[in-house]
Amino acid sequence: MPGRSDGLTREQVLDALKDVQDPELHRSIVELDMVKDVVIGDGRVKVDALLTISGCPLRETIVESIKAKVAALPGVRAVDVHLGVMSQEQRQALIGKLRGGETAFKGPGSFLGPDSPTRVIAVASGKGGVGKSTVTVNVAAALAHLGHTVGVLDADVYGFSIPKMLGVHGRPTLIDQMIIPLERDGIRVISMGFLLPDEDQAVIWRGPLLHKTLTTFIGEVHWGADLEYLLIDLPPGTGDVSLSIAQTLPQSHMLLVTTPQEAAAQVARRAAKMAEKVNMEVVGVVENMSYFQATPSGAPVYIFGQGGGAKLARELDVPLLGEIPLDQSVREGGDAGRPIVIAHPDAPAARAFRAVAEQLRSAVPVPARA
Amino acid sequence: MSPRMAVPTEMGSVTDNPFWIVWSDGHRSHYSWQRLRIACPCARCKGEWDQRPAPLTERDIPATIRAMSLTRVGAYALRFSWMGGHDTGLYPFPLLRHELCECDECAARRAAAGPR
Repeated sequence: MPGRSDGLTREQVLDALKDVQDPELHRSIVELDMVKDVVIGDGRVKVDALLTISGCPLRETIVESIKAKVAALPGVRAVDVHLGVMSQEQRQALIGKLRGGETAFKGPGSFLGPDSPTRVIAVASGKGGVGKSTVTVNVAAALAHLGHTVGVLDADVYGFSIPKMLGVHGRPTLIDQMIIPLERDGIRVISMGFLLPDEDQAVIWRGPLLHKTLTTFIGEVHWGADLEYLLIDLPPGTGDVSLSIAQTLPQSHMLLVTTPQEAAAQVARRAAKMAEKVNMEVVGVVENMSYFQATPSGAPVYIFGQGGGAKLARELDVPLLGEIPLDQSVREGGDAGRPIVIAHPDAPAARAFRAVAEQLRSAVPVPARA
Repeated sequence: MSPRMAVPTEMGSVTDNPFWIVWSDGHRSHYSWQRLRIACPCARCKGEWDQRPAPLTERDIPATIRAMSLTRVGAYALRFSWMGGHDTGLYPFPLLRHELCECDECAARRAAAGPR
């Protein structure tokens, strides 16, 4: 409808742009004061927007989203988008906004406050090699599939494997001191692997550096105020990392992973002991590598024994949330960066992971959104 | 799981004397700053392995000692920063609730149980 654009107002354009989110910060670009100027004339709309940093990896996404929203307004024939870069002061103001204004003393991670809506679930095992990271990525993917906003914090600083298992690679964007997590399949991820020159580097550190890394991952990563579940993939054992997590978070739950083997369940029990001492509630046990079935109708083979997870759950008086069968495609999914929950949603292992996620969200519900 | 530990629902600040905590189980505790400092559970005060320093007493800690600040540690403990800078002690909630509380009821219970 020619001529109508003369009636188009700046407010209408801004209103349309409210739906455009910064793809990394997950907040409206209008709300974040990223729209600097709007000029309307003769069917043409020119939008000046400010990026947080000049090398913003997702600038094209922002340009395309702005163009699409404005072009949909009546009478708009052409949209020009000009991108600039925020000044130091503008970035500080933005960070202040992201951190929730005056609550800076709590640190930027919203779940550092006692009333945080984010539910933190530390995935622990005691023993190594039982599949903590596999459980973490699959439960995260299943929770995301159920419609939750999910983050994964890879706290296995030395033995990180989350980047490979989720297929997330690259460097997080830094806005001054704030780290923006990488994202894949709707899961926000931070890992030591993103901070090393390459993923084959070894991290050879003593305790104090570990502590600093974890407090950075918790406090200086912009997980987003809308984050519902943060899964923390703990390293094996009850050492420095687990203690740092326990000392930093005012509220968190523990999900215990074991294999059916008595030796694994016994070490997992020690992780539960630690949880009790630091007042973390154990929400349940996941038994991984429970059995192997060569064919769907074949008899299950209990390679690692039977019943270790159920026994552990009974002893701790917590639910057994799932028994995950051994399945080659679980391992393949991990190596290919496609968790089985996403790659083969109908596989028995994927169904078992989804059942774990469903029970987990019933046991640790997120507060209803206002 | 064993029942969750009692946690502070309300507590005094470093300017209060005595220091006090109201617990999630309803109990109200109070503490003298001097005895809290004497009870510091850190490895330097209490020792570890084969290092066992002589226990602190009223002679080591002035009655006027005060904490300069206190913070919650995770979901399970308090950390006090004392005058003089000592701050390595984490006081787990069960220690504060059951072993260090100086209310009449707790003091009587401990006296009845005798010296351990």
